[in-house]
Amino acid sequence: MTAHEGLRADRIRVTGPSGRVVLDGFGTHAKPGRVLALTGPSGSGKTTLLRALLGCLPPGLRLAAGSVSWRGRPVPTGRAGRRWRLTQVGWLAQDPASTLYPWQPVLDQVIEVLADRGATGTAVRAEAATLLERLGLDPALHTRTPGRLSGGQAQRAALARALAGDPPLLVLDEPTSGLDPDCARLAAEAVRRRRGDPSRVTVLVSHDRRLVGDLADEVTEIAAVAPLRDPAITSRRTGTPAVLTVHGLVLDHPAGGSPLLTADLTLHVGELVALLGPSGSGKSTLLRALAGLHAPAAGTLLLSAADTTGPLPHPASERSRAQLRRIQLVGQNPRDELNPAHRAVTAVARPLRTLAGLGRAPARAQALRLLSDLGVDAEHAARRPGRLSGGQRQRIAVARAVAPGAAVLLADEITSALDAATTTRLLDLLDRLRADGLAVLLATHDLDVAARADRVLRLSAGTLHEQDVSAHP
Amino acid sequence: MSRISLALAAVLIAVTLLGPALAPYDPAAPVIAPWQASSSGHLLGGDVLGRDVLSRLLAGGRHLLVLSLVSAGAATLVGTLGGLAAGWGGSRVLATGADLLLAVPVLLPALVLAVALPGDAAVVVATVMAGAPLTLGVVRDATAGVREHGYVRAARLRGERTLAVLLREVLPAVAGVLAADLGLRFVTALQLASALAVLGLTDAPATGDWAAMLRENLAGAALNPAALAVPALLLALLSLAVSAAAHAGLRHAFGTGDSW
Repeated sequence: MTAHEGLRADRIRVTGPSGRVVLDGFGTHAKPGRVLALTGPSGSGKTTLLRALLGCLPPGLRLAAGSVSWRGRPVPTGRAGRRWRLTQVGWLAQDPASTLYPWQPVLDQVIEVLADRGATGTAVRAEAATLLERLGLDPALHTRTPGRLSGGQAQRAALARALAGDPPLLVLDEPTSGLDPDCARLAAEAVRRRRGDPSRVTVLVSHDRRLVGDLADEVTEIAAVAPLRDPAITSRRTGTPAVLTVHGLVLDHPAGGSPLLTADLTLHVGELVALLGPSGSGKSTLLRALAGLHAPAAGTLLLSAADTTGPLPHPASERSRAQLRRIQLVGQNPRDELNPAHRAVTAVARPLRTLAGLGRAPARAQALRLLSDLGVDAEHAARRPGRLSGGQRQRIAVARAVAPGAAVLLADEITSALDAATTTRLLDLLDRLRADGLAVLLATHDLDVAARADRVLRLSAGTLHEQDVSAHP
Repeated sequence: MSRISLALAAVLIAVTLLGPALAPYDPAAPVIAPWQASSSGHLLGGDVLGRDVLSRLLAGGRHLLVLSLVSAGAATLVGTLGGLAAGWGGSRVLATGADLLLAVPVLLPALVLAVALPGDAAVVVATVMAGAPLTLGVVRDATAGVREHGYVRAARLRGERTLAVLLREVLPAVAGVLAADLGLRFVTALQLASALAVLGLTDAPATGDWAAMLRENLAGAALNPAALAVPALLLALLSLAVSAAAHAGLRHAFGTGDSW
């Protein structure tokens, strides 16, 4: 009987460095053949609980009381624990692409996992290739390193590593937050296939109530999840003047051949435009090209808000300060948006000095004021990114971008690593900045986020189509 | 563990720097019979010329320490500049040059240099030759790793010049790795300085240094073992303490404490 107990935690208490209690008296049970969901908002301790269950709490945290058992035996720690996780646990982490080795082709990384989970012989290579193809990665991409894949493609490769060899325990940490809908569907399918097999246990950490309702047999709620704001109440803007006009932009494919995409688009003052499209379709590249970080093959950009005449130069290095401050980009990964060595206030004050020409003290004061407007108090503003949450980091990154007086904000998946409540707060923040005239072009996978946009542009097969918002699901 | 090693390193460095002022006798003048065993007036006995071993130990660390620090600093500086250039520009030339330098066994050029240059200069140059290529590789990879990060991109989008991006954004982000690397270069420098001093190729001050004491007192090891054993022990301890502190810095640099 105990051999079929699955993963069980009894009254566990996790304490921090100074004895501060992070989780207390927590019990949960993932039964064989069933799917357990752990839900709760950002900061409620989902990831900590998950790490406690897997016996790998980060340094500084420890299991002070209670027990965690896998199939009736305590979960091993230290070296034995690593061995156990390698052979028994498929783990799709919260930021899955960052768990890939940067310098190794993705196919080899999947083969390695299969070998760890006991696969031998010549068929392993074929098995790994089949798995990657089933998840939508062409054979041509298998020999690439993660850096040469798009964000979504790298996430698929990480999913393949988690699913390889059908591990006895599968753990998915926020599978829908960063994946495009297709890839999220693949992950959900994999979970569904495991259901009912008594030798397989699945744990799902998610704030996505739709996914949890769809997949989970049991739900352990850590704290209530704040609902997304009803998109119907968002006002839609029309009739404001154009701020950025893009004519006949052509971006070449890095591998050559036919162009990656061609685009014509106009952004109006105060508008939120969502940019949707499958992974690898070139959303990030388009935003980078507009920001001047990627050279287009052809096309003109007109930025009417800049105090200059004529089209915007393509490379950022040739743009004037007035042009640079008007169009800014925020990226998708809160881990690397902010310099680990700089305090939040320093990061926001810097562009005020270089682009807006303020002195040291006024720049600092204005940075603090802006941060507090955006919900980052003085105490947090004095912290370095290592001691800030993902949502706070993204707010600081947005503050840094808009601080010198941006008219256009290019936002590349800025909500993808955040939970629903934090996403809502970040979008509310953008709404407030838009009330002052900021235009936002937001690349996203999340249909709930796109539902708040004034307009939706869909990028597919290399062209941009305007999508009718009223028909949007 | 790391705290103990840091404390040990701090005590050793303090004693080494303040030592000459604490010495009970003139470290350069004979005060007892050569190789006399330890007694109440002379805790560690006398050396080859009858000088007080304890006084010479207290006086003999500063030269080695300062020389090793200067050498390590020079190696890290050269390696960091090269690493930033190689990692930012993506050119293979610097990295290939560094790899070629690494293939040379370091004692060979060190010995040649010690004959051609003043001993201390030879230690600095040899440490740079041996250490800078390693630092260059580390800094190059760290720089290439942060090149595409959001904060570097943000700096380019506010029109910062390359040098400002490197100094303000890249260098602070890799500072932890650099601090650890400096510790490792110090150990290399100390080993080189000791090796050349044992061979009698450096210009040790008249008050002696720990490595020179090994050479001087080898012949009297049976009469006063302390004159040989204690300087050897101090050399080993200094290098252990600094490398342990460097490893603690390395763990800190890779941010295992930076949890989500």
